[in-house]
Amino acid sequence: MKVVELLESRLQNWRELEQLCVQMEQHRKRAAGAPAVGRFATLYRAACADLALADAYQLPPNTVQYLHQLVGRAHNQLYLSRKFAYKRWLYELLHLVPQRLFHDNCVRLAFCLFYGVFIASMLAAWLSPAFADLVVGKEGLQQVEEMHADSVGGTDFNSAQAGTGFYLNHNATIGLRCFVFGILLGVGGIYETIFNALYLGSMFGFMITSKSGPNFFQFVTAHGPFELTAIVLGAAAGMKLGFSIIDTRGYTRTASLRRAFREAVPAAVTAVILFGLAGLIEACLSPSTAPYAVKAGVAVLCCGVLIFYFVALGYPRGGQTNAV
Amino acid sequence: MNGAIKQLDNRIEIVTPENIEFTYRVAGPFRRLGAYLLDNLLCWVFIIVIYIITLLVFGVLQSLGTVSLLAAVAHFFTTWFYGGVFESLWNGQTLGKRMFGLRVLSDDGQPINGIQAIGRNFLRHADTLPWAYWTIEESLIPLSTLQLGLLFMFVYGNYQRLGDWAAGTMVVLDEPQQLYGVARVTEPAALQLATQLPVNLVVNRSLGRALSAYVQRRLRVPVARRFEMASHLGEALRERYNLPANTNYDLLLCAVYHRAFIASATEVLDDVVGERSKGVKE
Repeated sequence: MKVVELLESRLQNWRELEQLCVQMEQHRKRAAGAPAVGRFATLYRAACADLALADAYQLPPNTVQYLHQLVGRAHNQLYLSRKFAYKRWLYELLHLVPQRLFHDNCVRLAFCLFYGVFIASMLAAWLSPAFADLVVGKEGLQQVEEMHADSVGGTDFNSAQAGTGFYLNHNATIGLRCFVFGILLGVGGIYETIFNALYLGSMFGFMITSKSGPNFFQFVTAHGPFELTAIVLGAAAGMKLGFSIIDTRGYTRTASLRRAFREAVPAAVTAVILFGLAGLIEACLSPSTAPYAVKAGVAVLCCGVLIFYFVALGYPRGGQTNAV
Repeated sequence: MNGAIKQLDNRIEIVTPENIEFTYRVAGPFRRLGAYLLDNLLCWVFIIVIYIITLLVFGVLQSLGTVSLLAAVAHFFTTWFYGGVFESLWNGQTLGKRMFGLRVLSDDGQPINGIQAIGRNFLRHADTLPWAYWTIEESLIPLSTLQLGLLFMFVYGNYQRLGDWAAGTMVVLDEPQQLYGVARVTEPAALQLATQLPVNLVVNRSLGRALSAYVQRRLRVPVARRFEMASHLGEALRERYNLPANTNYDLLLCAVYHRAFIASATEVLDDVVGERSKGVKE
């Protein structure tokens, strides 16, 4: 059979497969129905066979190129990305992530680094306001002071909500930046973690002696545990990525990074969920007139949830070793 | 394909679970830049639309703080989750990628999963480093220079940026291509020459590939250059088929192509006789 005859005999099938690809791309699989999906599979197999035999058939180069594209396009419709598998994500976040984090040295390092610098800079700013000036700047401190002069139970609830929106976005971005920059061999993540711990610590230390201090601490008490833990978690996940490039544990650098990636991304998503929960508390409870005991109670409850998550869910069971 | 020399361009070979090998074209940085800018633009349009809607709803209630809060939440989610969510739900495409005919795949050709989609989009922020700062009325506006991602694309294979490297993904071109069919030879002199070729003419695979590539492209090449190109193969074919020394090599390749791909010896003869009788009648 001459090539031109062969092409004529196949052309109709290829055009039909092309049409079905267009239909599938426009999410009409259900509307197309089972017969069309069955036909799609048959045509895909036939196109694969034509491509495999293109050399033997001596098809012209542009036809071969067309077949490559057609098979690729159909392949993308046949093997679709697995949507959000909610059950799998729940299992990942509630079972695998806490077990991994329980053993993770990067979490310990990020925790010590963040809280160590945070507490040290808080003490330094408390003892010497010049330190807070140096780190945050006079204008920054003035802004925080002004914002928290009326942040709790104030008459200007609008300003409080606007401030909440700003800080929610700002702090969650800080946490995710700690994760993202961690891939720069861990150094970027360590820098971001130290910088933010220094900044936040100085602000906390300065506010101890400020006239807006009581309002400030009442404001941050309820959502603080989730928010600060999320920053630590984001930083730890980032460091895990960065360190995996240096310490490959016998894998190639690429394999080591991808292995760390599969574990670090769910941890970063956990951090985002914590930021979301912190934001919810920050928007609803923190600026409200609720008594301080309620806010402190919520903070204790949040700490309890965190301990349950990291220790109770993370504690190794049944001889499992998830050390990585 | 089997036995073919691997092309020195941005094509990548994928083997499907059906054990069929096909190629994708990996998208380069300039194609991806267009999709990236379009996605950024769409994100900002979305944020502004959310802002206007909340302003209309909550502005009436004198609750401008809620407007700022919701706009900030929309800003956060579009900045960090737009790409990840779209690529998970749309089989590796965002709106920008769909418009530019791009798709994200695992580097083994399989579709990406949620962890890859979210992770590669988180790490896009590292690819945008270093940032330049633009000062407007004493406030600093950060501008990403995309240098790290660009550098990584050229250093690492398959134009993978840092996020792609970590996630094991690549961006390929995924756009419909036209089927132009088989090139036809219309010159009467070439058809006449085809009748002088042996009846049992058979061309091997590599010769067939060379002939079809030549005939498809010859009309885009200047005549002098065409003859020069055709002479390399034409001289050998002329000797093989004992044709006169003044044979036009360009037409000879067309004639061999016509006999191999389009028509048999008797069909060619019928065509030529038909053409002649038509000419006599006229």
